[in-house]
Amino acid sequence: MFERRLWFHIDWALLAALMALALIGLAQIYSATGGATSIYHTQIYGIVLGLIALVICLAFDYRSLGDKSHFIYVGVLLLLIYVLFFGAVRGGSRRWIDLGVFNLQPSEFAKATVALVLAKYFGESRRGAPTSGDLLIAGAITAVPLLIIMRQPDLGTAVTLLPILLAVAYVVGVPMRIFGILALVGVLAAPVAWKFVLKDYQKERISTFLDPEQDAKGAGYQQIQARITTGSGGLWGKGFMKGTQGQLRFLPVAHNDFVFSVLAEEHGFAGVLTALGLYLFVILRSLESARLAKDRLGAYLVLGVLASFTFQVIYNVTMAAGLAPVKGLTLPLMSYGGSSMIATLAGFGLILNVRMRRFTN
Amino acid sequence: MTAQAEDRRRIGSRLAALQIGAVVVFAALAISFWVLQIVQHQKYAEMAENNHQRTLALRAPRGVLFDRNGKVLVENRHSFTISIDRERTKNLDRTEQFLAQILGLDVAAVKQIVNRHRGEPTYRPIVIVDDASLAQVAAVSARKLDFELPDVRVEEVPTRKYPETMGAHLFGYVGEATDQQVSQTSGLKSGDIIGQSGIEKVYNADLKGEDGAKVVVVNSLGREIRTLDEQRPTEGKRLQLTLDYDVQRAIEDGFDAVGFNGAAVVLDPRDGGVLGFTSRPAYDPNAFAAGIDRATWSSLMTDEDRPLNNRAIQGRYSPGSTFKMAVALAALEEGVITPDFKVHCSGGASFYGHYFKCWRKGGHGAIDLRHAIEQSCDVYFYTIANMVGVDNINKWATLLGLGVKSGIDLPNEVQGLVPSTEWKRLHTKEKKWYAGETISVGIGQGAVAVTPVSMAVYMATLANGGTRVTPHLLKAVDEGDGWKSVPPPAPSSKIDIDSAKLQAIRDGLWMVVNAAGTGHNALIKGPDGKPIHDVSGKTGTAQVISNQGKTAAGNTKKDLRDNGWFVFFAPRDNPQIAGVVFLEHGVHGSNAALVAHHILDTFFAKLDGRPLPGKPEFKPNLVP
Repeated sequence: MFERRLWFHIDWALLAALMALALIGLAQIYSATGGATSIYHTQIYGIVLGLIALVICLAFDYRSLGDKSHFIYVGVLLLLIYVLFFGAVRGGSRRWIDLGVFNLQPSEFAKATVALVLAKYFGESRRGAPTSGDLLIAGAITAVPLLIIMRQPDLGTAVTLLPILLAVAYVVGVPMRIFGILALVGVLAAPVAWKFVLKDYQKERISTFLDPEQDAKGAGYQQIQARITTGSGGLWGKGFMKGTQGQLRFLPVAHNDFVFSVLAEEHGFAGVLTALGLYLFVILRSLESARLAKDRLGAYLVLGVLASFTFQVIYNVTMAAGLAPVKGLTLPLMSYGGSSMIATLAGFGLILNVRMRRFTN
Repeated sequence: MTAQAEDRRRIGSRLAALQIGAVVVFAALAISFWVLQIVQHQKYAEMAENNHQRTLALRAPRGVLFDRNGKVLVENRHSFTISIDRERTKNLDRTEQFLAQILGLDVAAVKQIVNRHRGEPTYRPIVIVDDASLAQVAAVSARKLDFELPDVRVEEVPTRKYPETMGAHLFGYVGEATDQQVSQTSGLKSGDIIGQSGIEKVYNADLKGEDGAKVVVVNSLGREIRTLDEQRPTEGKRLQLTLDYDVQRAIEDGFDAVGFNGAAVVLDPRDGGVLGFTSRPAYDPNAFAAGIDRATWSSLMTDEDRPLNNRAIQGRYSPGSTFKMAVALAALEEGVITPDFKVHCSGGASFYGHYFKCWRKGGHGAIDLRHAIEQSCDVYFYTIANMVGVDNINKWATLLGLGVKSGIDLPNEVQGLVPSTEWKRLHTKEKKWYAGETISVGIGQGAVAVTPVSMAVYMATLANGGTRVTPHLLKAVDEGDGWKSVPPPAPSSKIDIDSAKLQAIRDGLWMVVNAAGTGHNALIKGPDGKPIHDVSGKTGTAQVISNQGKTAAGNTKKDLRDNGWFVFFAPRDNPQIAGVVFLEHGVHGSNAALVAHHILDTFFAKLDGRPLPGKPEFKPNLVP
């Protein structure tokens, strides 16, 4: 199963970058929560379990995983449905399965699963270009978990499934005009969505984003504080555990959604460039793996996994700078969250898997 | 080309596009952070600082006031202010409602206070309650723990503590600087506490001290985490006053016992140092010290007795018979009469076709100057006033301190009036002085109007032999390195009075108290029952309305009773105390002498080392 020579094909550079980001995140969580708290320890467990998950995802040939993808998909859907009825409720939504020591969030694992199923579906297609039937099926594969997750409700996580579909569709050769039409529909649908779909608090978030000062003490508060936190960091930052915004709790959930703001405050533009560089390295390196992949299944798998990761990174970092509406989207690898850490590292296990087996038959 | 190769080419080009896209997006992110963290750093650094740093003003305690013997007169106590910090306010309306409710205040009143300060920067707290009760402090503190009122502050500040109404007009009061004061005085800002009256106002620069500041770090709940920087406030300079606490106490007790409004000023005739000073009715300056409430203020303002008016330096009254020594001195010094000059009093006399009555219907018979002063014979003074003329009376009265400002170190002193032909010409419609008017001036009626403080100077000048001393309150200043005495201000004028002539007047004054005069109420008796310390003085009973006017007024609610004066010095030789007691509608000058007696008795008991007299009880003569 795991041949000795494969060891030499593991992408150690990518793995090192992942670990570096996870450790930077851990340090900022330590700082933002004021020391070695239970949150900090949970994050360490998350990283350790994530590494185990990564090894597991690396150990099995991704092609045999692809062969079993429909089982995995159904399994995850069952978990999501289970959560919908029996999940632990926190903050008004059911997202978690209470495992006692740990709260498992199945929606985090839906991302890699959808990537795997879509890769398998398009990877096996013998035809040159996908048909509209293919696209409908791919859409359905994505839509089922997406709708279930929306019901939790967890719009943020649900939305991260869309980049997977788009990225895979893009790379399998869907003509650019289709994307153009989609974009047009999106623009036209926006007012309709504003009127009929979005809830009041969601509308408020968007209008607050456009003019945070109109509600500086309420919804705009976090956005303004995020900008102050980031901007006050300057070039070199205020120093580890010396950020006033994070330490004195002017910025809410600093260890979670706004962990990047805390990094920006305490380590300044230098720290920001370091972290952004590491993320960019991870993304480019993974795209490289997609290019090197032995088959289409591998390439699509890498891209699918990478798509939701990249989307979340870019959105969260933008939000951390106070330049995007505040949405409960965590920063993969750095934010606090066991399920997210495990699922993310498991996803990168798949990417490493594809690269490692680029020479095998 | 095989399908597979084509596949690879397509994937490769689309992947390349994604790579470029990723680099572009990350470059854009990096630029965004560069703008925020480098270009706009200063702005956000300041905002972060405003977020977590608070500068709290530490109010300097004002300088303590001591009496001439080192007894504390005015000091400071700790009080609590409750204020709203609008920077931390999420819902001002809610805070106002809630605060009013737990403090037991009217919501409208709270809103009014907030509105008055609306234009100020939000970091400056708005004080809602100045001198909060312990119950109010406890109510707010309990709510703060629950984070219900993150924007309400309780601060301990030094507040003035006055000896209640004692010397209220002398000490004055402090209050928040008015908008006008803030705009006119450099270095003064809204919310500063400054002296608004009395010594507090005149010596504000010495007393105010230097406010300090404390920079603290607060968290998002407004809780103070630690202190970054602290500048301790510097206490104001300590001032020693010329005042003698026991004399002051005696004045206040005397007025309490006699039950009239009025004023008293007691000086050391040798240098003009004020030993005691009062104006009645008084107010409690403590009410101002911690921010006076509207109701108290308006009741003080509308009170018909005008308690805020400092009668001792702002009231102008007809001096009546107490003016006779000025007329006597003018006649003696101008060589018109000698002390032995006699006038026959038959109970009245005619001048210029008018009949002027003496207060004693039967008359005094042939009477010389000494006895004319002792008996206060009106006819004698009509006669010599007529002989010396109004302009000479004006000249000598002025040299004795009447009709001019005394120059006391208190704000808003008014000037009295001793008429002259020039005054009549310049300031009246009639312009011409009629010789008949001089007759009334001879007994201190007519246009003559004096302030009590000028009467004190008048007596001090007679006591010390002609030096018109300047009354003053400041004796020494402690700038932190021990007491430095302040030299008394220069006298306003100094005249050489012929001692024989002056002695005749002094003899008359001694006889007023010690012989058959009207001032025996002021006589001090030693333990053996014999008079001691040779108190000399003069009563005066001055009409507030003419007899015809009194009849015309009929039944009026207005108090038309005569004003009572007693002016004094003691001992007769080398006097150490001089002063005036003025009773508004006090009916008789002899009633004023009752108060003067208690003052003098206390002063000399202290000097002699006798036990001080207790609180007096008087039975003033109320029969007109």
